[in-house]
Amino acid sequence: MTFILGIVLATLVVFFILHPLVSGRSAPMDRSEEELTEAQHRKRIALFALRDVEYDYHAGKLDEDDYRKMKREIASEALEALAEEEQEWAARQGREAAEAEKRAATNGRVATIAGDSAVEDEIRALRSSLKEGLICRECGHPNPVGSRFCSACGSALAASPPAAPSGSPAGGSS
Amino acid sequence: MLPAIGEFALWISLPITLWGAVMAFLGGRWGRGDLVLSAERSVYAVFALLAVASAGIIAAFLTDRFDFWYVSNYSSRNLETYFKVSGLWAGQRGSLLFWALNLGFFSALAVWLNRKKNRDLMPWVSGVLLLVIAFFIGITLFITPPFERLPFTPQDGRGLNPQLQNYWMTIHPPTLYLGFTAFTIPFAFAIASLLSGRLDARWIEVTRKWILTSWFFLTLGIVFGMRWAYEELGWGGYWFWDPVENASLLPWIVATAFLHSVMIQESRGMLKIWNMALVCLTFIMTIFATFLTRSGLIESVHSFALSLEIAYAFLGFMGVTFAISAILILWRLPQLRSDRQFESFLSRESAFLLNNLVLLGAGFAVLWGTMFPLITEGITGSKVSVGPPFFNQVNIPIGLMLLALMGIGPVIAWRRASARNLKKNFLIPTAVGIGTGVVLWVMGVRHLYALLTFAIGVFVLWIIAVEFWKGTRARARIEGENLAIAFTHLVKRNRRRWGGYIVHVGVVVMFMGFAGAAFDREVRQSMVPGESVSITSAFGHTYTLTYEGLSTARAQNMWQWIALMRVERDGQPLGTMTTERRFYEAPPQPMTEVGIRSTAFEDLYVILSTLDEQVGMGNDPQFQRATFQVMVNPLVPWIWYGGLIIAIGTLIAMWPGGPVPQQRAGSTGATPGRRDDEKGPGDPGIGAGADGDRSSAEPARTPVGAAP
Repeated sequence: MTFILGIVLATLVVFFILHPLVSGRSAPMDRSEEELTEAQHRKRIALFALRDVEYDYHAGKLDEDDYRKMKREIASEALEALAEEEQEWAARQGREAAEAEKRAATNGRVATIAGDSAVEDEIRALRSSLKEGLICRECGHPNPVGSRFCSACGSALAASPPAAPSGSPAGGSS
Repeated sequence: MLPAIGEFALWISLPITLWGAVMAFLGGRWGRGDLVLSAERSVYAVFALLAVASAGIIAAFLTDRFDFWYVSNYSSRNLETYFKVSGLWAGQRGSLLFWALNLGFFSALAVWLNRKKNRDLMPWVSGVLLLVIAFFIGITLFITPPFERLPFTPQDGRGLNPQLQNYWMTIHPPTLYLGFTAFTIPFAFAIASLLSGRLDARWIEVTRKWILTSWFFLTLGIVFGMRWAYEELGWGGYWFWDPVENASLLPWIVATAFLHSVMIQESRGMLKIWNMALVCLTFIMTIFATFLTRSGLIESVHSFALSLEIAYAFLGFMGVTFAISAILILWRLPQLRSDRQFESFLSRESAFLLNNLVLLGAGFAVLWGTMFPLITEGITGSKVSVGPPFFNQVNIPIGLMLLALMGIGPVIAWRRASARNLKKNFLIPTAVGIGTGVVLWVMGVRHLYALLTFAIGVFVLWIIAVEFWKGTRARARIEGENLAIAFTHLVKRNRRRWGGYIVHVGVVVMFMGFAGAAFDREVRQSMVPGESVSITSAFGHTYTLTYEGLSTARAQNMWQWIALMRVERDGQPLGTMTTERRFYEAPPQPMTEVGIRSTAFEDLYVILSTLDEQVGMGNDPQFQRATFQVMVNPLVPWIWYGGLIIAIGTLIAMWPGGPVPQQRAGSTGATPGRRDDEKGPGDPGIGAGADGDRSSAEPARTPVGAAP
């Protein structure tokens, strides 16, 4: 009895592990589209750094001069990551051209993990504000396109911004 | 029947493991998904086979199969059932199988959790995991076979060591093993990312979660071990700097260093080489801990019989692991280098780095002290023992430095902090800390280290409390929530940050508990029934214990002599307590069972040291003469409270996902410090609690009302 059970156990195990080789079933080998890419990770790191600096400043751990300077530095890091991400995206779009019919129409932009659109939106807004020169001259705070006053310090924003493109994710901040 | 099938399962698990490892590496190299699937199925199969093998051992224990060498040496007919189940890890042979089983469990879990994620890393991860499992199965099969038969069947077993016949036996080793074995998963991910060259931020994210999980179990395991020692060994302490205690502390120290330095990598992209090295070192330290315990080279309460075969096997495995890790890190060095630099000594990065250096300093001191006897024996031929005084002398100052850093870290800014701000942030907490020291001095506390512990501890607690208060208040004001709800939301939105702070609170409480040892009181007295002994606590009150008499009881595997004591505090009756001396039958051995009466601030700890030789000869009180050792251990309960707080904090920090509201469409503005509750569930950085010691909810709303 023990002998038979042993044979059954061994057969089951061998069948279980050899089955993929016989049947041709296979495990996914590539990074899923739902995972973050390296550039997306770096972008998030920059975003988190921005939040850290904000927190430190408002918690009184950072001087105003340092705060502004650091904010500018990190913003440029964020922009670099963004540029890289766009390249990645373009490259992926190229690869996916063949399946564009079913994908591009429905998914649109690069698929990020669910809910990451918040970070996306924020960075996109950050990027446009940086490009449109909406960084507050007083405090270095990047402001959304369309703002007339800085959302951080209340100073008037010097440059008159162009109208926000329709569908811009850059909503009003607090 | 089950033991036989278990033995068979163990034998076939080895070729399956090796098959899986080969398939994993080939599949990864050639990009063949079918081979990788076969490898991953091997992981599941090996776990199942190890479970069958373990069930076989347990069945052998439960059915008193003394024809098995292992069962006959660690069990007896009259052993309680739950100790028969825990027989699986009671001795060398079973516990290595149990180790492999735990490792198999975590490996299967890791493969299952990543069946759709990190697919480019998974072939290598499975390969590494299977190789490590193969090593443990190999040791189990060829050096410490748990299923080995005796040429005859003894009538009864030799019984379980009475020290192990304690309910902690069913809790402490499994928890510790879970902690040790789970460290293999981050190691596998580290090696996988080195092998595959995918050294981006992803492996760090996966690794950090696993390290936190392992850290949780290891911390609990260590604290449970302390509690066990305190209750069972009967010397009034909880930590003896025993080599095996130290061995469990080493991976804990390195993992703690990693948990902190990983935040620098996550937020600043720096220290990649260092973090990689720490992950590999943590794993090597778990193997080192096993080596110390299993080889029997160093004397310890935990160690098993001397076995040079095991010693060489583990040394070889450690050497190979070290060499492979080092070569891979060197190979990938160009990709691991960071182009960033530390911007200032006055920054949180520097505080973290200092924390790392101090932790590793402590680790080195512990390692040195533990290995010293072995080293001197090798050189001079005579064994020198290194006792608690050495470890205390070295580690108490290091511990105090770490304690101080726990306060400094949170209030110092990332990148660079200005001296002016430091002054502003540190002035009040420092004053409070010094004030505490002064008050304690005035109250008569003269022990330097204890004074420092309390002063620094209060300094840290103050800082953490202010952080919580600021965050809660800001959130309450912005969201219009009441303080309790604001506090809950604050913690929920950035679990890792606030969970980490709660862990720090636990550590402070625990350190204060350690400092209490400076004020231990002890008396030893021989008494006959009716006599009393008095002891004055460090808090000033006096306990009087009156010996009421001795009774005897028979349990399944022992005789108990139970002394009844009436306890009074400053003349007020508190009730009674008992303390025991036990005589086990298999194996024949006496034990003490300590009586502990715990309050929030101290333990009254009574040991029945010796009984009169004529005990039980008659009813004359003289025959009941016994020697008692009575101790008052202040603040020991704080160690357990601290452990509990650490566990809660770690759970908060590691809890996955959570009910984070869905992202509102188009809601965010350019303000980088957006409210945390605006994050989607897929933003693991903060919403899911995976974020580091980073931003929190409150500063998001920068000066409100400033926007037009």
